[in-house]
Amino acid sequence: MRLTVRALISHGRVARKIGLGPESRINVLRNILTGLVRHERIETTRARADEVRFYAEKLIDYAKKGVTDEKARKMVDFWLTEKDLIPKLFEVLAPRFENQSSGYTHMARIPNRENLDRAAMAVLEYKGNPFPPPFPVRHKNELNLINQLLKGYQEEKAQLATKIRDS
Amino acid sequence: AMACRKVCQMVQRRLASSAAAERLSAAELRSWRSALFSKEQNRQRSLYPRIEKIEVAMQGPGLQGTRLVMNKGVSTPHSCAKHLTEWHVSSAALALVDGELWHLHRPLTRSCILRLLTFKDVDPQLVNQAFWRSCASLLGQVLDDAFKEEYSVELLNVLEVPVSAGAFCCDLVLDPRLDSWSPSEENLRSLTRDAQQLIHKDLPWEPLEVAPPVALEIFSHSRCKQEEVEEIAAHSPNGVVSLYRCGQHVMLSGGPLVARTGLCCQYEVTALHAVGEGQWGLQRRAQGLSLPVNLTVMRNSVLSNSRCHNLCFVLFSLKEFCFMQYVDQDCLLDQNCVSVSMC
Repeated sequence: MRLTVRALISHGRVARKIGLGPESRINVLRNILTGLVRHERIETTRARADEVRFYAEKLIDYAKKGVTDEKARKMVDFWLTEKDLIPKLFEVLAPRFENQSSGYTHMARIPNRENLDRAAMAVLEYKGNPFPPPFPVRHKNELNLINQLLKGYQEEKAQLATKIRDS
Repeated sequence: AMACRKVCQMVQRRLASSAAAERLSAAELRSWRSALFSKEQNRQRSLYPRIEKIEVAMQGPGLQGTRLVMNKGVSTPHSCAKHLTEWHVSSAALALVDGELWHLHRPLTRSCILRLLTFKDVDPQLVNQAFWRSCASLLGQVLDDAFKEEYSVELLNVLEVPVSAGAFCCDLVLDPRLDSWSPSEENLRSLTRDAQQLIHKDLPWEPLEVAPPVALEIFSHSRCKQEEVEEIAAHSPNGVVSLYRCGQHVMLSGGPLVARTGLCCQYEVTALHAVGEGQWGLQRRAQGLSLPVNLTVMRNSVLSNSRCHNLCFVLFSLKEFCFMQYVDQDCLLDQNCVSVSMC
């Protein structure tokens, strides 16, 4: 659940309402999360993507504990409604994020829905998926003028440092 | 053309005796050179009295298959850019015609393949070098203009400094009466202000390729410039000398310059050292630093680490930045740490 300033002021009584009630909320999130694990990149409304993000990260944390862990198996079984995804989670996603301790997902805003409701939309994905990046990547250019200047500066600095060390 | 003819006549009257030539003031000399430049430019333009069409194939991202029909000897890469988008006009710094570096305002003489070069290309080294050269000649122009009428300023040839050296240089010899003068912070700041005014005017650098006699005539008041002309003419493969004009100032250049002064941004004159006695008197070297427009520091991901932030701080906040005498932020920080731990 996303904690906001508004939620803090109203003593936790204001949270994002998704679905028809607390149970419905969990079902909606479960379905979205299952879709995310299956496709690794999904498009949904911004609020839902934002909410489901916490669960998606937490699910990977559980998956990394391994199949042998009782709690992990229970949680994965609960959150994935399609049971054929359980091996994928343990064998594909958990090894992928072995070296990471957090930040397994990535969210990007996309234009509002063309529908009548014009809902704000977002793309939620697990990192390391096989799809092309959802936005243009800014590439570093080592040869542009500023970087050349900085390179010269760093070389000069390194030379100075060696000179000081020698003397 | 009318005004230029008038200036020519006036100056020629004054040049009737060669002794009078010695007494030409700096401003008159500048307008005389400019008038000769215009004359030669008009002569070269009149070589193409009939309008002939050439076909220019554009290269570059999003321009595959673009072919422009232009006028031979009249259209320049700049006019090709005007047929594309405003972005092409404002960000193009240099052109590549059939693989040869071509100034943006130099007329095209044949059907060719044209590529517009910008500072944000994948490999902008040629443009960077041209930019550095242009900044150096801008510095020369500022210095030429900066002193009072009674002091003579002689600009020596512009050194080709690689970009990674961290500063562009311009050598000059001042009037012997100024040998004891050493520039103060305030002087450098006023030079910077002059340069920024030129940049604000957004003047084009007009290129012109001339035969050595014309160049010798243009620089007939300066022995050292004439020697430089002879040297350039001897080294160039087809025996021509390339001249550039910015405003009224005519200069020699060892290579192509960028399109206009407005492409420089954050221009700073950082130092003016005395190098030593040279052939023409006490030789001084002015240094400066500049960044091209649209290539601001915040956009570069390489700059994200703290040391580079320090460098940027030095680059833009302190005037003393040049690699010969830079302020080393990290050293300062280290010293502070030592003192803290001792406390």
